[in-house]
Amino acid sequence: MIQMTNVGYRLRGNQILTDIDLRVKAGEFVCVVGPSGAGKSTLLRLVHMQIFPSSGYLVVADYNSRNIRPQEIPFFRRKVGIIFQDFKLLEDRDVYDNVALALWATGIGYKQIKRRILKILAEVGLSHRRYSMITDLSGGEQQRVAIARALANEPFVLLADEPTGNLDAEATHDVMLLLKRINNKGTAVVMATHKEELVKTLSVRVVMIENGRVIS
Amino acid sequence: MSINLLYSVKEGFLMLRRARLATTISITIVSMSIILFGVFLILSVNLQRIVQTFKTRMTIEVFMDNSLSQDEISGLERQILETEGVESVEFISQEKAMQRFRKDFGEEMVDILGDHSLPASFLIRLDSPHQNYNQSKQVVQILESHRGVDEVVYHGRLFQFVDRYSRSVIVVDLFILVLVLLTTIVLVSNTIRLTIIAQSRTIQIMKLVGATSGFVRRPYIVQGLLHGGIGGLIATAILWIFLKLIALRLPGLLTVSSVYLLMPLCISLILGFIGSVVGLRRFLRA
Repeated sequence: MIQMTNVGYRLRGNQILTDIDLRVKAGEFVCVVGPSGAGKSTLLRLVHMQIFPSSGYLVVADYNSRNIRPQEIPFFRRKVGIIFQDFKLLEDRDVYDNVALALWATGIGYKQIKRRILKILAEVGLSHRRYSMITDLSGGEQQRVAIARALANEPFVLLADEPTGNLDAEATHDVMLLLKRINNKGTAVVMATHKEELVKTLSVRVVMIENGRVIS
Repeated sequence: MSINLLYSVKEGFLMLRRARLATTISITIVSMSIILFGVFLILSVNLQRIVQTFKTRMTIEVFMDNSLSQDEISGLERQILETEGVESVEFISQEKAMQRFRKDFGEEMVDILGDHSLPASFLIRLDSPHQNYNQSKQVVQILESHRGVDEVVYHGRLFQFVDRYSRSVIVVDLFILVLVLLTTIVLVSNTIRLTIIAQSRTIQIMKLVGATSGFVRRPYIVQGLLHGGIGGLIATAILWIFLKLIALRLPGLLTVSSVYLLMPLCISLILGFIGSVVGLRRFLRA
């Protein structure tokens, strides 16, 4: 499903990633672990096709980074959900509208949107907060809204870039449990984190990355 | 209406409320720019109207021999009317000339001059292509050659003066108008562009969740049209009030057809559209 072969990425003369070989199968949970600046976020951005490899071969589902057309990228991103350390939510809107954004973009009907949002919010445990403004939520709740938005279009993979970076221990635990539950339902999860101890609590595949190279 | 379009229109309106300060500043700048342009447009239109009115009011007076019979006068009138450049001819009899004199200079002057001392004449108005110094001079020469014409009086120097300076005034005025229009274009489109740049985070998030360029673009175009439209409406209303106040104080000084009042509104809408499209361009590059 995700296939990276000898992928390299250079930015302004700096080699950020070198010879990355990574395969993620459908329904798998993979943690990309490494210190800050190791290239974890860059790897996720490549998989999300926000940037493109300088060398090597990258295929996500049926989309090849070499020949994906710009107009195909929005449709690709609906199938690859992503969450961030800083949540990237629209703070001037409520929970419902933040999740709805991903669905409005697809052009599906109003009733279908509502049905799907209510279902997802129930899954992430935020039904009671659907009309709350983002600024009124805790960090853990905001991350769950971001997860709900990422799941709105039923992606086959969820990319999580340091999802617990801004959260306290309790919220971190909740978010990890939620990610595990999502994975158990069949959605692949690729999570980047620098917290090795966090990964130890999960029985998942770990890919260690350092200085832009996979070391184990 | 498709679900996407419905969303775009709703979002466009909601954006006004979400970013109240930016919206207020943007609409204020749009209004002020459009008012500035509108004022110059009104002044330009009126300046040209005044120059044109002045030219159309300039007449040539043809005096004829007192010895001409009624038939000869009629013949001369036909000849003058057939002359190229003559639009209309009005016969001013001796009595009518005296009435005009009496009206202009008063009864005392009439007593001094005595009755029937003014000659009859033809008052000639030129058509539009001949309302300039060179063309009118040629018409005068032809008129002078007609048999029975005693003297042709016209304000050649005034024609020359109006010709020379009206053209310069109109050129300068048009130059200023174009300058103001360009300033308005830059101000309005940049203001709207800046309000969009301020919302770059929202655009980035929309793209991350799989929004197409069209989906991202539409609410901002609605927003740009609203900024332009509201700003333009406010400006048009202020210009209208300005014209009404001028009309009350100085009737007839400034007259403008409603087309010229709608023009700033249309320009404002177009600039709102252009501003949003240009502002979005940098964010929508793949």
